[in-house]
Amino acid sequence: MILIHCPYCDEKRPEIEFANAGQAHIARPLDPSGQSDAEWEAYLFIRANPRGRHHERWRHIHGCGRFFNAVRDTVTDKFETTYKAGEPRR
Amino acid sequence: MSEALFRNEPVPSTPYVADGVSISLAAPLKRYSLRARTAEALETVLNVKVPQKIGATEGGIACLGPDEWLLRTAAETAMPTGAGLPVAITDIGERSICLIVEGPRAAELLMTGCPLDLDNFAVGRATRTIYETVEIIIIREGEDRFHVEVWRSFAAWLWTAFTAAASH
Repeated sequence: MILIHCPYCDEKRPEIEFANAGQAHIARPLDPSGQSDAEWEAYLFIRANPRGRHHERWRHIHGCGRFFNAVRDTVTDKFETTYKAGEPRR
Repeated sequence: MSEALFRNEPVPSTPYVADGVSISLAAPLKRYSLRARTAEALETVLNVKVPQKIGATEGGIACLGPDEWLLRTAAETAMPTGAGLPVAITDIGERSICLIVEGPRAAELLMTGCPLDLDNFAVGRATRTIYETVEIIIIREGEDRFHVEVWRSFAAWLWTAFTAAASH
């Protein structure tokens, strides 16, 4: 089982306690009504699918309950780092 | 008539005793979910010390997350509502029941379905975690004594899983 470091609990916890929540660092447009259909579609649906380093949101749902961000390699499934939500992209 | 007559628990009231471990239903407890941005905000409202570190317990209050605490108390204490203050105090007393797992094989029993390393789980520590697919809160009350908080609807299954694991 993969151990994932929770930046809030500050310890490595078993993968089964976590839930993936998709790509990280997607900011909601500040002016939704000013968006074109294409821009809004891109915000809602278009996601990166890289081979390798990927920024993701994870949630320690069966633990402290908090969302945080992680950098995971999609090839090796290794977590490079995890950091609290709101911190700058790494 | 006594309220106890109307209680309908999802697990047997008689303890299950196996080699090196026993599983029993704890007496009904009062439970409160405490939410606030900081422990200090809760301390102001409750007038007791609130643990800061996730996993720590103090005076029946367990810190489950950066903004979440669980208060368990047997006494019929009046709780402040925190009205008007940036805290949320919610009565969750009937949401879960508590199973007491005791004996030298207690940690071993929990580790049959819980992925945490409970041999290195300090006495007095509490955490939310998972047993197979059921979310539980484990509180280590003593070297050989754990409290397992589980939602009522999952309790019958958890009891079956625990007793099956204990019989092996």
